[in-house]
Amino acid sequence: MDVTIFMQQMVNGFSLGSMYALIAIGYTMVYGVLRLINFAHGDIMMVGGFLGYFGIAVLGLPFGAAVLLSIAGSAALGMISDKIAYRPLRSAPKISLLITAIGVSFFLENAFNVFFGGIPRAFPVPPYMEEMVELFGLTMPVSAILVPVITAVLLVVILWVLFKTKYGMAIRALAFDVGTVNLMGIDANRIITMVFGIGSALAAVGGIFWAVNYPSVEPMMGVLVGLKAFAAAVVGGIGSVGGAVLGGLIIGFTEVVVVAFFPELGGYKDAFAFIFLILILLFKPTGILGIDFEKSRF
Amino acid sequence: MRKLVVLASSVAILASVSFAKEVKLGVVMPMSGPLAAYGQTCNEGVEFANTLAPTLKNGDTIKLVLVDNKGDKVETATATTRLISSDKVVGIIGALTSTNTAQVIAITDKKQIPVISPVATNDKLTEQKEFANRVCFTDSFQGAVVANYATKDLKLKTAVVVVDQAQVYSLGLAKAFTEAFKKAGGTIVKEIKVSSGDKDFKAVVSQIKTANPDMIFLPMYHPEVSMITRQAKQIGLVKPMFSGDGVANQTFIDLGGDSVEGYMFTDFFDYSAPPTQKSKDFIAAYEKKTGKKEVNSFTALGADSYNVMVNAMNNCANPEDSVCINNEIKKTVAFEGVSGVINIDKNGNATRSAVIKVIKDGKAVFKSTVNP
Amino acid sequence: MEISIKKDQWINLAIVATALWFIWFASGHFDEYTIRILNNIAIFIILAVSYNLINGVTGQFSLEPNGFVAVGAYVTALLLVTPEAKMYQYAIVDPYPFVLTLHANFVTALLLAGFFSALLAFTLAAPVFRVRGDYLAIVTLGFGFIIKILAINNPEVTNGSLGMNDIPEFSNLYWTGGIAIIAVISVLNIVNSKFGRAMKAVRDDEDAATAMGVNTFKAKTLAFCTSAFFEGVGGGLLAALLTSISPDLFDFFFTFQLLIIIVLGGLGSTTGAIIGTVLVIGGSEWMRFLDEPMNIFGHETTAMPGMRMVVFSLLLILIMLFAREGIMGKRELRDLFKFGKKGGK
Repeated sequence: MDVTIFMQQMVNGFSLGSMYALIAIGYTMVYGVLRLINFAHGDIMMVGGFLGYFGIAVLGLPFGAAVLLSIAGSAALGMISDKIAYRPLRSAPKISLLITAIGVSFFLENAFNVFFGGIPRAFPVPPYMEEMVELFGLTMPVSAILVPVITAVLLVVILWVLFKTKYGMAIRALAFDVGTVNLMGIDANRIITMVFGIGSALAAVGGIFWAVNYPSVEPMMGVLVGLKAFAAAVVGGIGSVGGAVLGGLIIGFTEVVVVAFFPELGGYKDAFAFIFLILILLFKPTGILGIDFEKSRF
Repeated sequence: MRKLVVLASSVAILASVSFAKEVKLGVVMPMSGPLAAYGQTCNEGVEFANTLAPTLKNGDTIKLVLVDNKGDKVETATATTRLISSDKVVGIIGALTSTNTAQVIAITDKKQIPVISPVATNDKLTEQKEFANRVCFTDSFQGAVVANYATKDLKLKTAVVVVDQAQVYSLGLAKAFTEAFKKAGGTIVKEIKVSSGDKDFKAVVSQIKTANPDMIFLPMYHPEVSMITRQAKQIGLVKPMFSGDGVANQTFIDLGGDSVEGYMFTDFFDYSAPPTQKSKDFIAAYEKKTGKKEVNSFTALGADSYNVMVNAMNNCANPEDSVCINNEIKKTVAFEGVSGVINIDKNGNATRSAVIKVIKDGKAVFKSTVNP
Repeated sequence: MEISIKKDQWINLAIVATALWFIWFASGHFDEYTIRILNNIAIFIILAVSYNLINGVTGQFSLEPNGFVAVGAYVTALLLVTPEAKMYQYAIVDPYPFVLTLHANFVTALLLAGFFSALLAFTLAAPVFRVRGDYLAIVTLGFGFIIKILAINNPEVTNGSLGMNDIPEFSNLYWTGGIAIIAVISVLNIVNSKFGRAMKAVRDDEDAATAMGVNTFKAKTLAFCTSAFFEGVGGGLLAALLTSISPDLFDFFFTFQLLIIIVLGGLGSTTGAIIGTVLVIGGSEWMRFLDEPMNIFGHETTAMPGMRMVVFSLLLILIMLFAREGIMGKRELRDLFKFGKKGGK
């Protein structure tokens, strides 16, 4: 295999990994404040993709405006789902919360299936996204460059929010101890809802990129991606935003590179995320950048 | 609430029952879950055929009972049992995939209820099963069609096969193609395994490019194939590409965009060249109802499952005699259906023509008809 | 005190006798559709009650039953399908020679199904229990997923995604119901034994349990293996009921369904697991009318196939909101009748 093809695969892995990362950040943040595996997160990403589709194909919006619509809509959906399905269960056993998350996930999948149909819809990709550019001797579509760049920008924004704003401080404090945060006069519920909003907005961006790269949207598109992104979050060390990005990139790379070098393993591709996960947890039970859960987070 | 519904509907049924009898046909389809897209498309045809021809020639009304199986075997088994034991259906249309259809047949064969599968193409399905029938062709026929067309008409010698490990359809078709292609003197230079649900095929297309075959055979469904064509175009891989009926729909062209220009595939029929009067009527009625005339093959085959079943029922003295219906289905000869002329042999397999289509300017264009 | 124990035993006997009578009565009087639903319920009771042992009683949040059920189903299928049927079924590649030689009767097949699942659980226990809590959940989810992928990618053994067909239909209500009763009694006996107390201690506070001298790893492994054994047997029964299995059946949705059952019923409560099974399996069949066109006050609505699942997910959320510890909480059926005594140990 020559160097060009190898580099090409690297770029592909980076692009795929960035998408996993965008979705994994939402998992990790929600987990940080609520200890909840939000199984509905992948479906929020699906809704994000659909909103983008509706924005462009139905409302005739330009791509940028459709992205904003999708972000706003998904963030609202994330916050509403928190308010209805998770907030009333703050003091309930964690597993009850998990079941309502599965309920929300089933609801979104099935409601979209019943009302919009399960047939994949072609996503109207803006032509400039598909234009091929030459970079360091590699040809790639604009979107393959855009995804990692935007992920990096969003990551910087998230880290800034977390570490430089008072909201970020509240979120980090919340991850330590909910009770104390309430005592400090901060409305913990408001902060948690905000976390859902941020996570869902990122998922929407991930969903739109997914729809652009594999130009279609359908109600079940978030299921496997969501699970893999969660695996990514755990590989990186759940609770850590940097870890989520790292985990996403690792899993994205593995999927692309292993199939490229060991084509006979292609049938096992979907299992890589989990095999990786198991191996890493065996040696480092809290993930790569993982923080011991009884101590601190982020 | 439910009592009220039952009460209201039973009053309605009682009112109508005095005039004509109602005969029930069962439909098992995935209407939710991961296969919902295909189930919905296929069921559309069954239901539309029912609205076009809702009665038997003796005046009895045919009532369809649709049961969702979520694409799951346990639900398929329960649904099939319900149709037979509670709804007392005389025949069943379904299910969509070969694995779920096998589940339906496992039950109906014991109960002697005929099944017509619209789109399950796996060769093994009807073997040794008395009450199993289908209106689509089998994988081995379809695979041979592509192999012969590629070697004889297009003079292609080497091929890469990309097979979807998770789909029975893909495995069966890939095997049939490989055998026929080798028999016709061709060489398979590489077989690449993928899994349905995958979105990223950049590694796959790079490998194909390295192998540099004369043609690529992709026996898969349209979501994956359209990704592959797009990603192939991105890296400049331009080779003749073929698929089976799994990509035979407009969605494939929508998804693939200009990357599917020149793409070839086998199909059951072509809506732009309706093979029979029945398909003309069907397409006209379909256009009137939905505003588009692009009748999907799955829709046409769903309709034909219904039509063949009704035809068999009409040929029986007692249209509720399931054994007679089954025998009549197997005697279907030169039946003019929506999707073409259908013959069904004593094993329940359809012998029917296939068409080869090529995508030109964003439209699937008829290229050639292949008779069995 | 002695009198009350005896009274309890009589009550238990009466419940078992009623269940047996019901199985006999149902087999003779109900139509096949109802019997199939009852078969499904019986099999899912086996799965739910044993899954509850590891998840509810021992408090180890694991998500692997689809894997163990798959192992049990495939072992049973490989042992029950005759060599001739195998020769003809393996369409993709020829089976390994040893696959053809496998053959056993139904009871042996079920026991081996349970045995291999339990053996797998035993092998997995050491690596899996290195992690706790949600890490355990995702690791076990991964194992379940990997088993499905293995079934797809090893057609020489499993016939790949086509799966195994023509499995002799041995399962009937006597088998499924009978084994369900055995499973419930076994699990209840474990829960009420000293092992059960160790398992509950692990659930309530693992570190404290260790400090008290409880061998937590042993307790967890025992729960894991017992649960895997019955999941394997349940998988075998399912294979012999459906007569046809394929990898797509053993998706993680299968595990989610079981998880919903035991949490809805009340995590840690065996009675709850049974109630949850009846509600989820029976209820989702009952709700089928939602998919059909409805006649509301003479107005015919158009059918909305899939509506059932929308309503199902909404009901799931609602029930969890109003019964946050599930319907039974951690209580058992008999706890409901013990008015005077609080927290009967």
